[in-house]
Amino acid sequence: MSMTSEIASEPSVSPPPQAESEARAKMTSRGVEVHYGAKRALHGIDVDILQHEVLALIGPSGCGKSTFLRCLNRMNDTIEGCKVTGEMTLDGGNIYDKALDVVQLRARVGMVFQKPNPFPKSIYDNIAYGPRIHGLAGGKEELDGIVQSSLERAGLWEEVKDRLSEPGTGLSGGQQQRLCIARAVAVSPEVILMDEPCSALDPIATAHIEELIDELRVNYTIVIVTHNMQQAARVSQKTAFFHLGDLVEHKETQEIFTNPQDERTQGYITGRYG
Amino acid sequence: MTDLTHDAMAVKIGHHTSEDAQRRLRRRYAAERRFKYYGIGAICLGLGMLAILLISIGSRAIPALTQNYLTLQIEIPPEPLVASADHNYMQFVEREILSLFPEAVGDFQAQRQIMSIMPFDAAGVISERVLEDVSVLGGERIDVTLQLTDEAQAYVNGEISRSTPEADRRLTDDQMSAIDRLRDDDVIVVQDGRPVLDIAVNLPFYEVVNQSNFQSLANDALYRLFPEVEGRARRDLRAIISPGAGFELRQMILADPGLIGSSVSLEVPLSDEFDQLAKNFVDRDLPEDQRRVNDAQIAYFDGLEEAGLVTSRFNTQFFTAADSRQPELAGIWGALVGSFYTLVVTLLLSFPIGVSAAIYLEEFAPKNRLTDLIEVNINNLAAVPSIVFGLLGLAVFIQFFGLPRSAPLVGGMVLALMTLPTIIIASRAALKAVPPSIREAALGMGASRLQTVTHHVLPLAMPGILTGTIIGMAQALGETAPLLMVGMVAFITSTPEGLTSPATVLPVQIYIWSDAPERGFVAKTSLAIMTLLVFLICMNALAVWLRKRFERRW
Repeated sequence: MSMTSEIASEPSVSPPPQAESEARAKMTSRGVEVHYGAKRALHGIDVDILQHEVLALIGPSGCGKSTFLRCLNRMNDTIEGCKVTGEMTLDGGNIYDKALDVVQLRARVGMVFQKPNPFPKSIYDNIAYGPRIHGLAGGKEELDGIVQSSLERAGLWEEVKDRLSEPGTGLSGGQQQRLCIARAVAVSPEVILMDEPCSALDPIATAHIEELIDELRVNYTIVIVTHNMQQAARVSQKTAFFHLGDLVEHKETQEIFTNPQDERTQGYITGRYG
Repeated sequence: MTDLTHDAMAVKIGHHTSEDAQRRLRRRYAAERRFKYYGIGAICLGLGMLAILLISIGSRAIPALTQNYLTLQIEIPPEPLVASADHNYMQFVEREILSLFPEAVGDFQAQRQIMSIMPFDAAGVISERVLEDVSVLGGERIDVTLQLTDEAQAYVNGEISRSTPEADRRLTDDQMSAIDRLRDDDVIVVQDGRPVLDIAVNLPFYEVVNQSNFQSLANDALYRLFPEVEGRARRDLRAIISPGAGFELRQMILADPGLIGSSVSLEVPLSDEFDQLAKNFVDRDLPEDQRRVNDAQIAYFDGLEEAGLVTSRFNTQFFTAADSRQPELAGIWGALVGSFYTLVVTLLLSFPIGVSAAIYLEEFAPKNRLTDLIEVNINNLAAVPSIVFGLLGLAVFIQFFGLPRSAPLVGGMVLALMTLPTIIIASRAALKAVPPSIREAALGMGASRLQTVTHHVLPLAMPGILTGTIIGMAQALGETAPLLMVGMVAFITSTPEGLTSPATVLPVQIYIWSDAPERGFVAKTSLAIMTLLVFLICMNALAVWLRKRFERRW
């Protein structure tokens, strides 16, 4: 990992030395391998995800970035025949430990999916669902507060405040995706995983979400999978390039885009293949 | 561009506007139109068949909607309460005496021994008391003095005793000790030098009336209208009114005991033959021996009609009564209630079990050989002939668990077995159709698997599950074969009062009536079919309404 201070993006503090980075690591992955039946999808991934930073995962389709993302909150558990080996931690605790409660893990590591998938319920109920099942709100007023602040954080409050009882599925695509982000934020997670959150959105909605990601970074740690190189460059501090199940390069975003070490990385980000 | 592609392009210029292309286009449209007409034709054919079916059944059902009644002025003296009632009154005496022998409860043999110290007709005195004053029925206990048999008298008088050789006495030791006890209790006393049984008897009004035959009163009223008819000819006359007349009279008297001793005007149903005659279904030109009513009867009937005593009314009996051998008394209500109870049991069993099984198999069960096997078997069960489920019900529910025969409980359980595969398959399909993104969204929020299913997946699958359930229930409603095995294909004349009382169901009732020889059942069968269809439509409407409600909540 490069530690040169010149290339740090303005809002973040200058990159700390290695030891400090370990200490700031929100999640770590050591030698993570994923098998789908007999097929090996990830070959030993080592990544540190630092607190209050955005990590972008890029790479051609089928390279394993979404698989890696879904390992981080064990969504792969739901896939038949999927086996994860290696060590993955959240705040130093192994998330694949038998004793770990996966429900609790997913409350701490929230997720936003590629296609907006609001529940077919009202906007209010979409946001309130998480706090309700996790018992985050004591009463109706507290719940109202959570719903409002979540929607405000997702930049959606002004647009929907007068129609909270309307179905969430009636919103536009960009609004739906922000609703999903608000829904993820509402359970106060520590990490938010985003799986190509803008792939189904127009440029204006995309810009909205990118601004939002930058704001959310202050409170949360974010991992985002994207096919859009410019997006990765705009929103992330660190970038990891995956290729055919390997983690090829993982370093400061600016550096990976200006000075890629690996030929494959260079080829991909310059658009020669991928 | 190479030459090859250039040539290929050149060939295609004008290709889409040529004569050939126009013709192809026309053919394509013609094929489309033809297909549309086939579709419309198929739908019209289907609707036409349905219309023919409904019209033919409906038109045949219409006569069953009305029933003809004969207005009779009936005198109600107390006689029916005592005629043929001596034996009935004995049972009230028996009740009193046996209450003194609590140890004999349930011991039929011992009861017979005790009662045989009196002659059979000992209760004749009670009839006389009732004739004197009807108000003793249901009133205070009345004191009666009853005779004893000669043997019992001889024993009380000391003419025979236990030491008398068995061959010389017709009184057993048990009877002797019974007499001894009755004497000790001062029930057997000596009056005017003769031992008699002196006991206070309770005469419940309801039971006495219920066991009396009032048909003769209606017959008498009819005879009074034709004083010239006497002797055997009266048999032709009384065939005009239904045997239900006495029943109706009894119900009236039960409702109002004050009617005894008065004269009432009552509309009694005509018997089936004359109902058909009144509805002009009898061909009067046929030779007499080919008709079920003879010329004399037609003359009586015409006389009654001319006198304005025959009226036609809406047949409420059909919708309030249970089955009967007499078409004019038979009703669908018993079968309707039976069907209702049966379906309630079926629904309560098959819906929760079926949906739970579907949820487990679809959302929780691992995909392995065992679950594959289960899936194949569930699909196979849906194709098993329904009578097999009936056999299973007979062997397991009735013979092994000893549940009652002919009961809606068992019928419902058997139909639930039959309906389960349908509901499971439909529910699994509905669950499978819920987009996986909803499950991911809920799981990603930290919902447990059960929460994911109950909060999100199940509500979305509910319309599909309900549709499957309706189909299953409709199937169960029309099923007769499995019920044959558990005794629900039976002639039941009472409306079932609960899940374990004998009952029959609508399709079985239709089957029984369609087989009956009486002319009146033809229309009844059609009307019963219409009732079944209406019941089905109501059931489906309810389900659709429920489904709409479910959908609106989300």
